[in-house]
This record gives sequence, C-alpha cells and structure tokens, in this order.
Amino acid sequence: MTADSVLSIQGKRSSGSSVRQENVIAASSVANIVKTSLGPVGLDKMIVDDVGDVTVTNDGATILKLLEVEHPAGRVLVELAQLQDEEVGDGTTSVVIIAAELLKVADELVKQRIHPTSIIAGYKLACKEACRYIQNNLTMNTDDLGRECIVAAAKTSMSSKIIAIDSEYFSNMVVDAAMAVRTADGKGGHKYPIKAVNILKAHGRSATESVLIKGYALNVTVASHAMTKKITNAKIACLDFSLNKEKMKLGIQVLVNDPSKLEAIRQREADITKERIEKILKAGANVVLTTGGIDDLCLKYFVEAGAMAVRRCKKADLKRVAKATGATFMTTLCNLEAEESFEVSYLGEAAEVCQERVCDDELLLIKGTGARTASSIILRGPNDFYCDEMERSVHDALCVVKRVLESSAIVCGGGSVEAALSVYLESFATSLSSREQLAIGAFAQSLLVIPNTLSVNAAKDATDLVPKLRAYHHSSQVKTEHSQLKYYGLDLMEVVDAFESNICLHAEFIACRYERQGSVMQDQNPPGRDKERYVRSLAEDVKGHLNANDLRPAYRALKKLRSMSPSRGLGQSCGASLGNTKITDLVFADDAVIFAESLEVLVMALEVLYEEAKPLGLGLLAQDPGLVRDCKKAGVFEPAMSKLKQLKFATEAAITILRIDDMIKLEQEASKESGYQQALRSGQLG
Amino acid sequence: MPAKSAFVPVKRISKSEFKDKEKPAQIRGSNIVAAKAVADAIKTSLGPRGMDKMIQDGKGEVTITNDGATILKQMKVLHPAAKMLVELSQAQDAEAGDGTTSVVILAGAMLETSQKLLTKGFHPAAISDSLLHFASKAVEVLESMAIPVDLTDNASLLKSANTALNSKVVHEHSGMLAPMAVDAVLKIVDPNKDQNVDLKDIHIIKKLGETVEDSQLVDGIVFTQKSQGVGGPSKVEKAKIGLIQFCISPPKTDMDNTVLIRDYAAMDRVLREERQYILNITKKIKAAGCNALLIQKSILRDAVSDLGLHLLAKQKIMVVKDIEREDIEFVCKTLGCRPIASLDHFTPEALGTAELAEEFQAGDSKYVKITGVQNPGRTVSILLRGSNRQVLEEADRSLHDALCVIRCLVKKRFLIPGGGAPEAELSVKLTQYSHTMKGMDAYCFRAFAESLEVIPGILSENAGLSPISTVTELRNRHARGETHAGINVRKGSISNIIDENVLQPLLVSTSAVTLSAECVRSILKIDDIVNVIR
Repeated sequence: MTADSVLSIQGKRSSGSSVRQENVIAASSVANIVKTSLGPVGLDKMIVDDVGDVTVTNDGATILKLLEVEHPAGRVLVELAQLQDEEVGDGTTSVVIIAAELLKVADELVKQRIHPTSIIAGYKLACKEACRYIQNNLTMNTDDLGRECIVAAAKTSMSSKIIAIDSEYFSNMVVDAAMAVRTADGKGGHKYPIKAVNILKAHGRSATESVLIKGYALNVTVASHAMTKKITNAKIACLDFSLNKEKMKLGIQVLVNDPSKLEAIRQREADITKERIEKILKAGANVVLTTGGIDDLCLKYFVEAGAMAVRRCKKADLKRVAKATGATFMTTLCNLEAEESFEVSYLGEAAEVCQERVCDDELLLIKGTGARTASSIILRGPNDFYCDEMERSVHDALCVVKRVLESSAIVCGGGSVEAALSVYLESFATSLSSREQLAIGAFAQSLLVIPNTLSVNAAKDATDLVPKLRAYHHSSQVKTEHSQLKYYGLDLMEVVDAFESNICLHAEFIACRYERQGSVMQDQNPPGRDKERYVRSLAEDVKGHLNANDLRPAYRALKKLRSMSPSRGLGQSCGASLGNTKITDLVFADDAVIFAESLEVLVMALEVLYEEAKPLGLGLLAQDPGLVRDCKKAGVFEPAMSKLKQLKFATEAAITILRIDDMIKLEQEASKESGYQQALRSGQLG
Repeated sequence: MPAKSAFVPVKRISKSEFKDKEKPAQIRGSNIVAAKAVADAIKTSLGPRGMDKMIQDGKGEVTITNDGATILKQMKVLHPAAKMLVELSQAQDAEAGDGTTSVVILAGAMLETSQKLLTKGFHPAAISDSLLHFASKAVEVLESMAIPVDLTDNASLLKSANTALNSKVVHEHSGMLAPMAVDAVLKIVDPNKDQNVDLKDIHIIKKLGETVEDSQLVDGIVFTQKSQGVGGPSKVEKAKIGLIQFCISPPKTDMDNTVLIRDYAAMDRVLREERQYILNITKKIKAAGCNALLIQKSILRDAVSDLGLHLLAKQKIMVVKDIEREDIEFVCKTLGCRPIASLDHFTPEALGTAELAEEFQAGDSKYVKITGVQNPGRTVSILLRGSNRQVLEEADRSLHDALCVIRCLVKKRFLIPGGGAPEAELSVKLTQYSHTMKGMDAYCFRAFAESLEVIPGILSENAGLSPISTVTELRNRHARGETHAGINVRKGSISNIIDENVLQPLLVSTSAVTLSAECVRSILKIDDIVNVIR
C-alpha cells in the first residue's frame, strides 16, 4: 500500500476492507470454536494449557478465557463473552456466535458496496426494535407460572452441560439454594446474592449424590482430635486474629536481668492469650472459628471447655458465616475502654455444628444458622474435571435462577426468541424505506444462526427445521388466533424413530366435534382389504392435491376419507394417517396426519382447512408438531434479561469491530536505538 | 567564462555540493509527503459517520478510538515532519479540545496546495507569508458568521456538545453524555466572571461494569475505594466528613531506638498502651463529631491499623482510606473541609458536611459516593461506566471532548454552524476576496481557499455520499449567500445545518485554521534535516 511506505511508523498498518475482512475472519474463527458447544446437544471442549493442566468444559466464557486469543478483534469477542458471564452468567456461547454472525453478514453487505455506517445505523435500530419486541411480546411473568418455571429455567441452562442427565435433580437443588440466600434489598424487593451459596467439590461417588446443605459448609477441620465433633445449639464466635502466644512487636526488646524472671515473662506471653480464650469461652461460646492460627498450647483450653475450635478458616467464608449466624466478625477484642472483652452479643447461633467426612476430606457443617438461612452445595463427581465442570454449570444455573427471580421475566428457549425476532424484524425492515432496510434484514437473518446451530449440533436438518419454526412464528404474528404459536421452539432432545425421520414435515390435525349428518350407509363401504386400498388411494389423492397446492380438492378428498371412517356419533373424532407405509387403523385413529412436501403448503393447508371446516362445525387444532414444540409447555425457559443483554452486547461488539477501518500494530521497542535512526537506516525516510 | 579558475577548488567537493542545490527542495518534498500521509491516515475518522482505528501497541494493549489526537499519539510516527502534525493535533487538543482530526486534515490540505505552488516556482517564504495573511483573514470571516451565545442558553450548549459527541463510538449515548458535560461545566463556572474553565475541577471516575448509560453526574464526590472495616456503617446520613493526613496506627520507633521491657507486667502495659493510643485518636475523632473519615494514603506505614478500623467501626464511623495525595486538594474543595495533618487540629470546624455518604456495589467492586454537600466548592464528579475497558476509555475521551467544547464556549461565547459549513463559507468568501488582490499573494490566496474544501469533501465521502456533487452544491449554496448551508449527513443532502442542531464553538474552528496555518508555515520553512548521530 502506498500509504504505508509514505507514513513511516514503527509497526504495521493496514486499512480499508482488508482490515474489516481480517477482523471478521478472526471473529468468526473465535465463534467457530465455541459453536459446537451450543445447545443441549452441544459437545464439550478439552483444553490443555502450557503447563499441562486440563480443563473440560462446555461454557463459552471459560473456553475463550483459556484460549489466549491474540488477534485484537478476536479479543473483543473474548471480552464480550466475559462481560456476558459477569453481567448475566449464562448465554456466553450464544452471544459470541450472534456477534460473529452479525459481523459476517455485515461484511457481505459491505462487499455489496453498502457503507458500513448505514449498516451500523441499521443494526442499532434493529437491536432496539428487537429488545422492545422481546419485552412487549415474548416475555412471560414468572409470578404467573410459579416455581416450576424457575426450575425449568435452571434445567434449560443445565441442559447443555455435563449434568444434563441429572438436571431434574440439580435444578431443584439450585433453586432451593438460591431461595435460601434470599435477602431483602431494603426497597421492597429481594436480592439473591448467589455468591453466598458455597459450592464445594469432592470427587468420588456419583453426581446424583451431590447434596444441598441448609447451612454453611467449610472446608476445614477442628483443630484438635480431642475436641468434640458435634455440637448442638452452637454459640459461634468468629475471630480474625490468631490465638497464638503473644509476641511483642518489632522495636520492643525484652531485657531480663534476673534469670528467674525469664520464666515469668514466658508465662505471661502464654497467659495473655489464655485470658483472651477464657473471655471468649466465658461469654458462652462453644464454637470458635478463626482466620488465624491457634497454638497447640491453647488448644487444651478449648478441649477442657468442651468447645470446638477451628483455625485457618478463609476470611471470606468466615464473614459469610458471621452474617448467617448473626455473629460479629471480630478483628480485635478491644473495647471502647481500651480493655479486652468479649460480650455475649458477639456470638452467633446455629442449631448444629458438626464435622462430617466427605470423600477424603472432612467438612465442617454449620446447620440451622440463626440470623439468615444459608446454603451450600457439595458436588460429587467421578474426577476433578467433572467436578470443575459441574461447578461451572451449577454456577451458571444459579445465575440464571437469580436473574429469573430478580427480574421475574422469562422467555422461551430453544431458538424460539431468535426465530420470532427474525420474522418480526424482517417485516419491520420492509416497512422502512431508508438505507437501513438491508441492514435490518441482515440482522434478522443473522439471528437465525442460533436455531441453525442448535439443530446442526443436534444432528437435525437445519434447512428444514428452521423454516418450519419461522413459519410458526410468522403465523403467530400475523394471526391473532395463532398467537400461542410464538412460544414454539426447536425440540432437540426428541428421539426420532425411523418412521418420523422419513418425513421431513408433518403436522397433525385433530378433528374434533365432527358432526355427522345422518347415518353412514354401511353398505356403501367396501369391505376389508378393498377398504384399505381405497383409503390408500384417497390418501394419495389428498397428498397429491396438497403438494400441488390445490387445497379444495384436497379437502374434498379428505372429507371423503373421513366418511370412510366407521366411527360415528357426535363428538367422536376420526381420521386417517396417510402418506406413509404405516397407515393407521382407521377405527382407532383419532387424528389425521397430513404430510406435505413443503412447509408453506402445509401452513396454507392448515389455514384453508380451518376456514372450510368452520361451517361444518369441524374444529382444527394443530398440535404437537414433532420437532418443533411449544417451549412454554415443554418448560424450556431462559431469563429475559439474558436474551436482552445478549442482543445488546452482541450488537455493541459487532459495531465496535465494524467501525474499525484501520489497524495499526506497533512493534515492541526492542533496541535502545531511536526509532528515527532505525528508519533512516532502513531508508524509509527516502 | 571568466570565473572558471575560481570554480576549480569548489569542484573537488563537487558531488555533494551539486546535490546540495537540489536538497532543500527534496527535503521540503519529503516533509510534505510525510506530513500529508499522516493526514491521509486519519481522514476516515472525520465526521459523524467516521470510522474508528484499532491500535495495538507493543505490549499487545488495544486501543479503539475515533479521536484524532489519540490516534496520532498512539501511532508513533517516525518522520520528524509527521511528528509536527502529531504535535499540531495535540496543540489543538490543549487549546480547543475538539477538532483534532480536522486540524490535521486542514494542515494536510494546505501542504498539498503549497506543494503545487512550489512546483510552479513560488518561493516558500512567499507562500508562508501569504498563508499568514490567509489565516488572519479566515478568522475574520469566521467571526463574521459567528452567532453569539449566552451561557444560560442551555439548548445551544447541548447542541454543540452533541455535535462533538456525534462522531464517537459512544454517540448513541450522546443524549445522556451531552447534558452531563453541559451541567458539569456550568456547575463549576461563574458565567459572569470566568473566562476559562479548569477541567481539573471535573473529576472523571472510570469504573468497569454496567453500560455507558449507567454513567452519572454526581453532585459531590465519588471514591473508587470501598469503605473499610468490618461491621462499620456503609451508609451515613448527615455525614460529617474529616480528611486526615496522619495515621491511625501505632507509631514506629526510630530504627535505633527500642522500647525495653524488663518486667512481665510491662508487657501488658505495652499492649494496653497501644490500645489506649489508638482509642484516644478514635475517640477524639468521634468527639469532633466526625462520622465519615477519609484517610490519605501513607507509604511509611499502615494508614490505619486493624485495631483502629475496629474501633472506628464500633463508633459508627465510616472509613475510606488510600486517598491519593494529589486528590486531597480536589476533595477539600468539593467537600468544603480542611485536610487535617495532626490530631490536635481535629476540630469540628475542619470537617465538611454532606447529606449522605453511601457505599454502592458495582459488579465485583464497590465505590463510595458522597452527595448533598452543604457548602460545596465549584467542583463536580462524573462516574463513567462501561462494559469493557476500550469502551470506557473511549467514553472518557469523548466526554473530555464534550467538556472541552463547552469550555471553548466559556472562553469565547460564539457558535458557528458545523457540517462543513464554515469551511465552505471560508472557501467562497476568501476566493472572492482574492479577486481584489494582486500579485503572488492573490494566487496563493485562491489556492488555499480552494484547499479548505477538503473538509466538506471528506465529510461527504465518509458519509457515503458523492464528494464531487455534494461539494459543488455546497459551494453553489454558499455563493448564493446561504451562509449556514452544510452537509446533512443523516439525510445525505445539503440543508441549513443550524436547523439540524449541528453547532460547534467558534474557537474550535479559528484555532484549527490558525494552528494548521502555523504548522504548515514552519514545515515550509525547513530546508534541511541534520542528523546528529550520538
């Protein structure tokens, strides 16, 4: 580039479209790494660092953090994942994927000679509109749905993780844990400081033997084996100083002239601590937790008093214990008279403090805390990697539960929000006549990357599933009576048998309130095998007409088919399953299944049949459409805040990268020689 | 040739001598090319639709910015003439705070024109002189089109702050940052007296987390430290604030001195004395009525010991420690308190009073906010939030620009339209003026007047418009006397830019023209580079 040779700087400079392309490539390669770990069928990554430490994880933020991405644009995405992790705690993978896709699509537009600023403006508008739409149309209030939906949200978050199989078990555990740490925020609401949920890991046993403890678990043991291991009605003192023999400070010299006094001084050193301990014990404490050490010498006082003493507790843990039990966290014993004292009010209470053996470790459990409820989770797993990943998953789930409880708004998962937004934004884009239209269309298109990736990860045909999903959402947004369809998302966990996998698209119609006029002329019915053949031909007929987009004859054929059914009477439903080898026994079939080659045909068929059926008193109800399902019913939930932040952050990151049209990489200043002289030597100054 | 014999000794060093004749022109050419390259490098970041630059320094730190001065500072150009342009943008940053990109682009355009003139055989000194004349005339024209503004006219101030923020990464938040900048400046100036603003009185505190939207203007002060002590209050109403510069920890004896203990009873006394000493300090603090204590950072020993914190917490005194020494002055000014260097001076008079001192949680960290100061000084704090470091830094720079714009208006209370209008007007007016002149000056004048059109050209190019049709239309409108016609980037057309609320302070444009003219003059006057090898 000519500018490079003229503008001599200490490094490399690249500008224009090459930078944008480079950035987009860097961003998409980062996204590609985490892509396969999205969704309930996403897979894990094993990361080995330079020391040889192994991490096995499914969490996007963790994967990216460990990757040490070098490219600055890639780093923006890594930071994006971290940000989502901090702000929401979940959805770290999807935010990166969306951002990368936004960039990719924007790059395509730039190549079509659309100015980046127009794209940026369009993206911003689209993001704003999308957030508004989520808030107004797609969120549900958790208060209406109750606890189940909170559990379901936790389950959804776990479904992609290692503990997915036991998500039923863990989701309940997580919700209980979060509920236990609920505190009022003083403004009428509640806060859920999930940091207060102590998560301990111990390998051995199976994951389902993880336990939730109503109370606080500390990874410490009592200082002496002579102490009692269990105390009921515990009075707890939390200290932040050592109970060692008192040492004089630096600069104070002990000078003894008389050797006999030496012993007295030693005695005094021990006694100072002894007095302290006595003061504490006298106040009624029978459990003493300290962050410092306790001299072996001093232990005997505790043993004698039948109290439990624990040394080297973590300061953060102890502060929480103090909060939970109502104890005062003491840094010194000094009172306002410059004397040392310990009052009863400093003590906290707990129903039981006991030491239990879990795996190889001993844990100290504080149960039934006095002031507030607390909770700890002890995770069990076959190995350390498993435990680590469990911890991350539980943390994510806790974050989700916290967000759901705090904002009490959820949206459906399974790609349903993205599909709904993409349909909505596309129609919104067409309503605009400005340059932003294309960019909003691109935004809508790139949101589909989530359902796409979800279905690809689940080894489903994305090209079939995603349009189907979109059709549902389209109809929900166009027709008021179909508004319930907006909760439809992908069903990735369903076991598809051979019968279903043969058919790409199907929907079932239940014919209900089918009123028959008069009695069926039985003699008209061809008997036995002929009947089956006749039905089959009729079915072929229906299918043929449907495929040809010819709905009236299709309906007529269908009606004829119906009349073939021997079932009769008011309110009884009948039908036929057609279009495949496994024709349903008409007597027992209670619904008709129609297969069409394309979704549009099917939806249209649905609509026309609905209209046609109305005057006959025939109600049509689309139900259980196979691979697409009602996520609201299925309980696939995500916190609304997570989706909103995802969109906002992803758009912001994409815009940040998109705005860059110039990149300057400076070299490290290695030599002491001034840059000017180097340039002079290399002839850059010409 | 009669002088032939005289030339002979010269011929011995003929080669370099012969080159030397060409050298001044070469040097000048190379300088101009290098300086122009700098202007070319940053021209894409001009205007509301400008792009950003990503700069990765030697350590791998990444800066994403749109601010001309920052880009150039980070870029580390090597050529001495290019460095002059970097300094030019820095000078504009110091003088006006905004327009750092356009000043460099202007200089680049002027250099290009000078180069053309040089090739036509104009003497550099002549060009330089005419440039001086040109700059002073340009300022006259600018002043003639300026609109006086009153500092009480909040709307106009907002508009100009908005214009400054519009090109930045954070411009979607300009609706919030612009009023913040206006309020902040207006709070610290006395509109009737002050002719300048000390931006040091506006404390910008950056705290990672949340988004830029959550930034706030704090009428009071914000400390990024958390409050100290366990069990102490994290919220104090009707706070009496003391700022101390001494330590609440046991005094250290000098190296040579030691305390001697001969008796075990003395050990108790040593311990008690220490407690007594600290207690005495804290009690005295309490006695003065203080319930929020700020402690200056100390490098010699702990500014406050655990014991001290414990006792202060017990007496319900909120403690914030590690106040930097350089912040002391600002804190005092804000809170209306006096720094207290010794316990003896700890009197109620030295304390500041505020309605509320409260600790807030921000993501993983905490910060302390003191609001409702009773007799506040003319200071203000702005708490900036941002989702990542780059955004936060850029928000800081953008806010600084907005503050500077308001400061310019305090200095020189005139506004002119933005959107390329002043440059187009200058170009038209000065071309007309050049017709009244004669000689070389007239020629240079016209050339320079034309060069000013580079700004609207780049502006339209960055906005994705056709530069030629836009600039010619703009010129046409100005020739017809529409002084306020400018490029409406949002609609992609030419319109009265004042109606679009695109306004900028007069000072930004005048200083841009004068500074760039001066810079170009000095580059023109260089005819040799001497490399001193150490």
